[in-house]
Amino acid sequence: MNLLGKKKRAQSWFDERFGISGIVKFLREKKIPQHKHSLWYYTGSAIMLFFVIQVITGFMLVFYYNPTLAEANKSVGRIMTEIPMGWIIRSIHSWSSSFMIAFVFIHLLSIWITKAYRKPRELTWMSGVFLLCVTLAFGFTGYLLPWDDLSLSATKVGTDIPRSIPIVGVWVTKLLRGGEDVTGDTLTRFFGFHVCILPVFIFILLAVHVYLIQKQGMSLPLAVESKKEKIQELPFWPNFVYRESVVWLILLGILFTVAIFLPPSLDKSADLMAPAPEGIRPEWYFLFLFQALKIFPAKILFINGDTFIVILILVEFLLFFFLPFLDNKPAEMKGKFITFLAYVTIVYAVVMTVWSLL
Amino acid sequence: MMWKMKRLLVFSLLIFLLFSFFLLKLNFAQEVMEEEQNKITQAEENAEKIVPSPKDIKESIGIYVFVVWMWIAIIVLIYILRLKIKEVDRLFYIRFFSAKKK
Repeated sequence: MNLLGKKKRAQSWFDERFGISGIVKFLREKKIPQHKHSLWYYTGSAIMLFFVIQVITGFMLVFYYNPTLAEANKSVGRIMTEIPMGWIIRSIHSWSSSFMIAFVFIHLLSIWITKAYRKPRELTWMSGVFLLCVTLAFGFTGYLLPWDDLSLSATKVGTDIPRSIPIVGVWVTKLLRGGEDVTGDTLTRFFGFHVCILPVFIFILLAVHVYLIQKQGMSLPLAVESKKEKIQELPFWPNFVYRESVVWLILLGILFTVAIFLPPSLDKSADLMAPAPEGIRPEWYFLFLFQALKIFPAKILFINGDTFIVILILVEFLLFFFLPFLDNKPAEMKGKFITFLAYVTIVYAVVMTVWSLL
Repeated sequence: MMWKMKRLLVFSLLIFLLFSFFLLKLNFAQEVMEEEQNKITQAEENAEKIVPSPKDIKESIGIYVFVVWMWIAIIVLIYILRLKIKEVDRLFYIRFFSAKKK
């Protein structure tokens, strides 16, 4: 039997067991609409690319990281100074998390503005909002792991925020910290969240999200759909995948270049007894919340300022989560107002972030 | 003319509102003092800070060479992908695969 015959036999052997031909047929028949907003379709796969990089570099780092009070900072130091190319791996992990979160924000905002959450895609939107929360939780838990002064203080501030929630607040703070204050237990707990609990959540949510996207197909932006013209479509495989590959290559190039030339440094090990250092600042994606908390007055009427803003954030989050049900007729005046709110949110987040950095 | 004036006024007001956030921060004397203080604390901090960088000149050159080759490879791959995209699009528009099925 020649080589081609052997290949065909191997293919049919696998196909009989896994049903690969069905998947290939589905990918060939899946169509991607082409219009002036098609660029946003690439943001989803960019997130997946950075997620895969996060998983691979995370596996590499976990072999050398030690999540104990005495060893956490030292082990990160060892990764950066003793392990061959360790500093690059850590830098790629750190930068790719920032890139991933940036793309999650862009992806969600593009869906908000193009109204892609409309019926029947309500659950796709909701699973996406959950994915945003899990991604931010990854960033928050990962920030403490180097165990330096800045990460300790930022975690103290961050875990203290839920305390302002009425009734359950104190309990949530204790659950996050593993006690009354941020200690070695918090570090172990955060490591557990970062490498065990959150990955389980993200894999389940990703599976649901991707399944829903395949089930419902790609949405058309409201502006394009209302024109009622025939939209040109391209097959997912190979036409769209080739286009995505170009985007992936460019993003990979940028990520590697930034990671090599701007690696994150490591401060000395955190001292639990030391006072908080000046200029405590969370990661860039929490800065707009951090600044809002900073500038808010201590008391508003009879309510504590912190409690007020935390409740306000929770209400805003709930409105954001249930957006497909609030904006069920997006072409009407209410829909236009919600689009305007999306732009206001972008301006607010950018202004607050820049203000916090000044 | 009036309309232009109004538009100019609204724009100026918007820009002022945007930058008024930053104006609050302008306290030059204090800033200079803080900067001096920061320089001292920065020097103290840097003593214990690990700033990642290549270990030696060999690793440093290796990394630069890698970055250059990576970008050359990316440009070549993008060029090949562009040709592939043109080809698969052409086959799709002439309905090559649908005709083959029939």
